[in-house]
Amino acid sequence: MIQKKSSIEKIVLIALSVIAIIFFMMPIYWLITTSLKFGRDAFLLPPQWLVFDATLKNFREVLSVDKTFMYIKNSLIITSGTTVLSLILGVPAGYALARSKSRLVGNSSYFFLLLQMIPPTAMLIPFYLIMRDLHLIGSYTSVILLDTIFDASFVVWMMRSYFADVPKEMEEAALVDGASQLSAFFKVAIPLSIPGIIASALYTIIYSWNDFLFALMLTSPKTKTIPLGILASFSSVEISWGKMAVMSIFAIIPAILISLFLNRYFVQGLTAGASKG
Amino acid sequence: MNQALGKSINRVLQSKSYVVLLLPLLIFVTLIAIYPLFFSLRISLFDYRLTDPNQTQTFVGIQNYLRAFKDPVIFISLKNTLIFVLGTVVSELILGLGLALLFAPETRIARFVRSFLLIPMALPPLVVGLVWKSLYNADFGVIPYYLKALGINVGRGPLGELNFAMPAVILIDIWQWTPLIMVILLAGLKSLPNEPYEAAYVDGASRWQSFIYITLPLLKPTFLIAFLTRTIQSFKVFDTIYATTSGGPGQATTVLNFHIYTVGMTFFDMGYAAALANILLIVVAVISIIYIMVMSRQQY
Repeated sequence: MIQKKSSIEKIVLIALSVIAIIFFMMPIYWLITTSLKFGRDAFLLPPQWLVFDATLKNFREVLSVDKTFMYIKNSLIITSGTTVLSLILGVPAGYALARSKSRLVGNSSYFFLLLQMIPPTAMLIPFYLIMRDLHLIGSYTSVILLDTIFDASFVVWMMRSYFADVPKEMEEAALVDGASQLSAFFKVAIPLSIPGIIASALYTIIYSWNDFLFALMLTSPKTKTIPLGILASFSSVEISWGKMAVMSIFAIIPAILISLFLNRYFVQGLTAGASKG
Repeated sequence: MNQALGKSINRVLQSKSYVVLLLPLLIFVTLIAIYPLFFSLRISLFDYRLTDPNQTQTFVGIQNYLRAFKDPVIFISLKNTLIFVLGTVVSELILGLGLALLFAPETRIARFVRSFLLIPMALPPLVVGLVWKSLYNADFGVIPYYLKALGINVGRGPLGELNFAMPAVILIDIWQWTPLIMVILLAGLKSLPNEPYEAAYVDGASRWQSFIYITLPLLKPTFLIAFLTRTIQSFKVFDTIYATTSGGPGQATTVLNFHIYTVGMTFFDMGYAAALANILLIVVAVISIIYIMVMSRQQY
């Protein structure tokens, strides 16, 4: 912005910013305060936005139920399984796509972009039937496999553009020194691409942690993840917003940590498709 | 060793190790994605109901596809999907541009606000849906309460009224995904060259004029990417609908994805569900291929 803004303009801009911030933060703020309110206060109208009796009662109650830990454990297993598998499959493939001189291989990266766009139900219906025949419904494996299709495709796409920006010269120097292509990949390219790998991992963590539809269809009561746990507490006989809010807090912790503290990597992942092909 | 020979051996080795790096993913994708999609094509040609105790599969040809054209819910859900996609994507593009311009300056406050604005899109859509459902609640919800204070009465709450349910669901999507448009447009804004602005300034153009005649045209490719990204995502909407309205009231918010889910996973009418899923797949694939063509053109 080269020209100076008038003071009226400044006031309008500040007002708009404040409205935007209130709009986007209000539901999250409501969720966090509801988790800290007594049951009777959660329903009060007008709502108590700033001053209310704070309590950890909801947290104590939710944490005293064994199921809570089961949900958290299941979410952690599925998220870490998906993330590790997606990186193991996706990072080397991304490297191959970035470095291969063959046109066919290079263009096949669009295939992985296309895979990410498949409507989840289109994949879920046949996948559900196949898993059913293999007696894998209710296993972590089934959810991890299906999540990995979408997440590994993203990792390939992300890492391909990342590796393309890593100068080839250092790998070529390693090759001249007698290293094999594989060891050039592991010892030179990977260490240079750690930020890209972190960005891919964060994206994978977010999307597998947030998954609901696949877990809804493919898990059993023993392998249910946090979103399903929230739904269970929400549709129980005595609807407790406090408990629902506490479970939801567990569900949103990764989102908040990553947005606030690792945002540089997260943004890199979000714009990977947008900034370059 | 002859140098040329060494080089060509190296090239072969090189290409082989690329294959080694790519192969695991290709095998995985073939088994876990390609095979199910062909399986889905097969299932869609059969009458296959999981509720049938004998699990019989009767070949019916393209009957399931023809049935789709007679299914009244298909047209309703197609219409709802188009309204949802159009309503969300257009509002998000406009508001996202506003957010991007508002928080583009590299000041500490703008950077701080931007990181907070990332939160909505990182949240589980199911949680977002449940939170908004609570906010919309007719008896205890904050939103109907303030609307009432303004003299607007929304009876059974925004999600319970035929005319309000769709806009209410669209608003949730706007809340969650507008910041993504901001992020994409900010990346585009940052990569804009400085020279045209300096030239315009020298020529006495106002800030508004340089915005209309320089920024917007230069941002066009970024806009297109943001538009297509969100369109494809918007077609996928499921969790939000499941959490808030389950497609209701009536069929006011039944989108295609949700209808397919209901047919397959509630009625267990797998053949028909697979046919519907394949139709949706084709629609999305066409949009996706346009997207990819636009993107690959951007490279050059």
